[in-house]
Amino acid sequence: MNKKLLSMLTLGAVALFSGCGDESASNGKLSVMLDSNVVSLDSAQCTDSPSFELIADCIDGLMQLDPDGKAIPAIAETFEVSEDGKTYTFHLRDAKWANGDPVTAEDFVFAWRRHCQKAEEYSYIMGSTVACVKNADAVIKGADPSTLGVSAPDSKTFVVELDAPVPFFPALMAFPTFYPVNEKFYNSLDEGTYGTTPETFLSNGAFVLSNYLPGTANIQLKKNPDYWNADKVLLNDWQYQVVSSSDNALTAFKNGTLNLVTINGSQIEHVNKDPELSKQLTSVESGALSYLSFNQDPKNHHAGALSNANLRLAISNAIDRESLTDNYIMNGSKATYTAIPIHFAPNAKTGKFFAEDQNKYSEYVSFDVNKAQDYLNKAKSELNKNEFELELIYANDAGNSTVKVVQAIKSQVESNLPGVTIKLQPMPKAEYLDKVTTNSFDIALTNWVPDYDDPMTFFTLWTTSGSEICEHWSNSDYDKIIEDCTIGSLAADYDARWNAMYNAEKILLENAVIAPLYTNANAMLISPNVTGIDFHVAGVNRVFKYAKLKSND
Amino acid sequence: MNYVPRKDDFEFVANRNLEIDLNFASQGYWKGVAIHFFKNRIAVAGSIIVSLIILFAIFAPILSSYDYHEIISVNDSTGKEIIARSLEPQIAGDSTDFFADKTFLFGTDDMGRDLWTRTWQGARVSLIIAFVAILIDMIIGTSYGLISGFFGGTVDNILQRFIEIIGSIPTLVIISILAIFMDKGIGLVIASLLITEWIGMSKIARAECLKIKEREYVLASRTLGAGSFHIIFKQILPNTIGPIITQVMFSIPVAIFTEAFLSFVGVGIVLPQCSLGSLIEAGFNNITVLPYQILPPISVLALLMLGFNLIGDGFREALAPKLEDM
Amino acid sequence: MTKYISKRILMSVLTLFLIIFVLFVLIRIVPGNPFPVERMSAEMILQKRAELGLDKPILIQFVDYMSLLLSGSFGNGTSLYNGAPIKPILLACLENSFKIGVLSILFGTIVGLFLGITAALHRGKFLDGVCTVVSILGVCIPSYVFMIFLQYFFSYKISFFPYFFDPSRFLFSAIMPSLSLSLFAIATVARFTRNEMIEVMNSDYVKLAESKGLYGFELMRRHVLRNALIPIVTVIAPLVVDLLTGAMVIEKIYGINGVGKLMVDAIAGDGIDYNYVLALGIVFSSLYIGIMLLLDILYGIIDPRIRLSAKEAA
Repeated sequence: MNKKLLSMLTLGAVALFSGCGDESASNGKLSVMLDSNVVSLDSAQCTDSPSFELIADCIDGLMQLDPDGKAIPAIAETFEVSEDGKTYTFHLRDAKWANGDPVTAEDFVFAWRRHCQKAEEYSYIMGSTVACVKNADAVIKGADPSTLGVSAPDSKTFVVELDAPVPFFPALMAFPTFYPVNEKFYNSLDEGTYGTTPETFLSNGAFVLSNYLPGTANIQLKKNPDYWNADKVLLNDWQYQVVSSSDNALTAFKNGTLNLVTINGSQIEHVNKDPELSKQLTSVESGALSYLSFNQDPKNHHAGALSNANLRLAISNAIDRESLTDNYIMNGSKATYTAIPIHFAPNAKTGKFFAEDQNKYSEYVSFDVNKAQDYLNKAKSELNKNEFELELIYANDAGNSTVKVVQAIKSQVESNLPGVTIKLQPMPKAEYLDKVTTNSFDIALTNWVPDYDDPMTFFTLWTTSGSEICEHWSNSDYDKIIEDCTIGSLAADYDARWNAMYNAEKILLENAVIAPLYTNANAMLISPNVTGIDFHVAGVNRVFKYAKLKSND
Repeated sequence: MNYVPRKDDFEFVANRNLEIDLNFASQGYWKGVAIHFFKNRIAVAGSIIVSLIILFAIFAPILSSYDYHEIISVNDSTGKEIIARSLEPQIAGDSTDFFADKTFLFGTDDMGRDLWTRTWQGARVSLIIAFVAILIDMIIGTSYGLISGFFGGTVDNILQRFIEIIGSIPTLVIISILAIFMDKGIGLVIASLLITEWIGMSKIARAECLKIKEREYVLASRTLGAGSFHIIFKQILPNTIGPIITQVMFSIPVAIFTEAFLSFVGVGIVLPQCSLGSLIEAGFNNITVLPYQILPPISVLALLMLGFNLIGDGFREALAPKLEDM
Repeated sequence: MTKYISKRILMSVLTLFLIIFVLFVLIRIVPGNPFPVERMSAEMILQKRAELGLDKPILIQFVDYMSLLLSGSFGNGTSLYNGAPIKPILLACLENSFKIGVLSILFGTIVGLFLGITAALHRGKFLDGVCTVVSILGVCIPSYVFMIFLQYFFSYKISFFPYFFDPSRFLFSAIMPSLSLSLFAIATVARFTRNEMIEVMNSDYVKLAESKGLYGFELMRRHVLRNALIPIVTVIAPLVVDLLTGAMVIEKIYGINGVGKLMVDAIAGDGIDYNYVLALGIVFSSLYIGIMLLLDILYGIIDPRIRLSAKEAA
């Protein structure tokens, strides 16, 4: 009956609007799906990958990454490193902002100082755990920004002083927090309006915004004719569309409205049944690691038991990670048995990924019910307790595979470990972050997105001071290794640092501080006429600068 | 011709049975309502539908060979776990497929759980929510609205401003604060319904009361010295029953979907527990790929609503007999 | 009446003040920080909170906020989460939600009244059954499921309507979302209209009017509809607020930049954006209070017997 009414109404609508043509939204234009809103275009405020991606479309930093993730020059034509690896001198090319101003070293100095001074979430990346820019920590805490170790001897030379050598520093320069901001333009705007409309945002990169508003679902970009590398940019205008239902994404892809979409597990099965569509399906590794964090605080109301290493090991060994990825997530995510995700952080010398050997710690992390039960029995006798009720908290992102994963973990742990009960506690992301930072949880499902292509982006999470997620675990050997590798004696010695990080990983896993689960991937459908998109596991995940759309006439 | 009265024409007054109307006068009010209700075929059909759903909700999960949270799986020859994921409705057959020997009347969901069991398990939760919503509406909403409308003036002003304050606080804020003190789950959902669910009903009851309280029979009652609460609940309430029942019918799905929305944002019922609303949400994610997953919960909900509506209509007619020609 | 209205407006301002206070306090109790914290150390979080003045006593924070609000700015005027300015975004979102809301209210009341009247006039017959089924489906099928159906048929199968919201062709692309949003309104209005009309049509005064020879449209307009209108208007009023303040899921699915989405993002996102939630709360409650005031005034116009002012009611 509803249909009858519907068809009546539609007939009316058709009659009313038959004048309007049926041009589809894309119309020969590249349309890319974003799965969440762009948070901010201000590189000091953004915190999420859609923002990083959009900023990188519009602004070039000192360096950029080639398709393999190696740093190649962008705004900096060349750079020199001092003997001790602590001073970088970048020589800028003649690039222009979209308003005609030249891109100068002062723009970088201004941006970097501002980012430290604003002390937003991502200012940490300037500090002593990552980029080690001189005095960055002090400026973040409120010191005079002019003491930051950056300077511009002339308008085309940008000098950065570091507290310690950082082996991945050039690649880091491709990360949006290190991008320049045109000081004159910024100061001409009203307070707080930078990056909120196409008029208040200034590009020096491949594209300029033609339609944008914070929170908008549709973002239009067009080519920047003044871009220094404009010859290589092939897209003239294109758009992002925020799509929150992956079901919608699939149908929109099928009828050609979108050219690049991310889809979920159930849809992949459907796509695989279609020979035409399945050819357009690719799984792109995202480099994000999902793992369980155990709260080891013995005083925590029911976590107490988790201060026992055997209980943690029991849980870690009772989870069938292959089943999680093959049966529930199904988008190409890979079961992971190391603290560092697979296909992440290649060694600069050998080219081998840090976590290439997944069996390295199989003694501690594996799926082995018997072993898990042995650990559990040990834990039971040590704690003198037979029943464990543990709360597993997770952020409830709708449409995400997280919901399926936690239920599968509950089912696996409860059937493999008699006496252990897992209570699932979904919550909004803000509440989740509050719980993990204030130490009120038992087990947390964490999904950590790396910011740069080095194992340290993960290892700094578990130090005593790295308190983002409070495992309440402190190990002086571990802290020592991490300190040595970031600002200490090992920072300059590539091989020694690399090996030391393996030692740190061993400490982490033999104590089962975390239970690694899987390396995330995104299953994407990409139209065959779209080429030239670069995918990266860290930092800016998708680069559209050199993408190409063959017109399909 | 003169008529001569005979003896047969007369009878003794004392012997006369004064209770003539055996059908109605001898019955209590509620008995009358019940008789009326059960004479109404449509209302009976509604009751049958709702009772069947309640019976299924109670017994289907118990009798089912699977638990609602059980992930049905087998290990293949290499020991790899294979789950009965996203199977369309099937009756046990003898094909070579892994799960062909099992019956899934509604198919399975994308985690390999039996949707038949889950739908009825979900119906349990949603029925609880529905009945709680009915109670809240009938008790809190109606009295609040009637009192506010009847007394008017300052009382009305204060009560209405209070509603405006409560109604203005987003449900999500209310429930996030409740979640500090309570465990997540159905109790929390009910608590949040208790805070906001009755507002719509109280508005209706108030509007009806405003309309009726100036009527002659209320005035008459008052002149005869009836107390305010007697007038509200004995004179006005029975005459507002129509819109109140209609409103109750609508607050049921609203409550069920409020619960679904809360679960969706992560403050509702706790997984792997399910409700009709959360099953609809889950099916919605795969609606064009696996449409059969959303059909059972939506159909059960629609049937439930149909049943409730028919019952509601029956009650309206039985409670306000002027609608029927007696 | 004027005295009553001015008194009510004064009361409404007081209520609004109370609402802001309650919301202000409650939202600071909700667990979570208003800014992104995932990569911040505990020390930095404290530093940031102090910088935003969140470490001050809550009453002082409230006084600060109110003085800023009276000078016309929602707090410091920007989001605490991403620094986006509040006013221009709020206005843009309100505009979108309002337009779609008004469309769906129109759909809802017109179709709903039509269905309800038809059903009442054909009580117990086939058309009545049709209307009952429509209104039951209308409340059982969530608007977003209906929206997906519409999208599937009209955007995917026949590519008639645009797949996502396109502000440059507003009316055209607003049809599907407003139609789906109006589903619930159609159902409720139709049901209430039908039931009320039946009740009124059975009443003595309508029978009297009929016996005096009044029938058809004139009878409907003068006696039936007018008397059935009170409950109908009462259910429409909160629906109007709901529809004007946007629908989160529909806005998300169709890519509409509206206030419903804005509100949920502000509360259930990575941080609880105090400034945005408060600004939206103030706008929503003003709307709510305003419509409720309008409703009370309407009662008196529809049914002159109703008196709300204190003196007469006692």
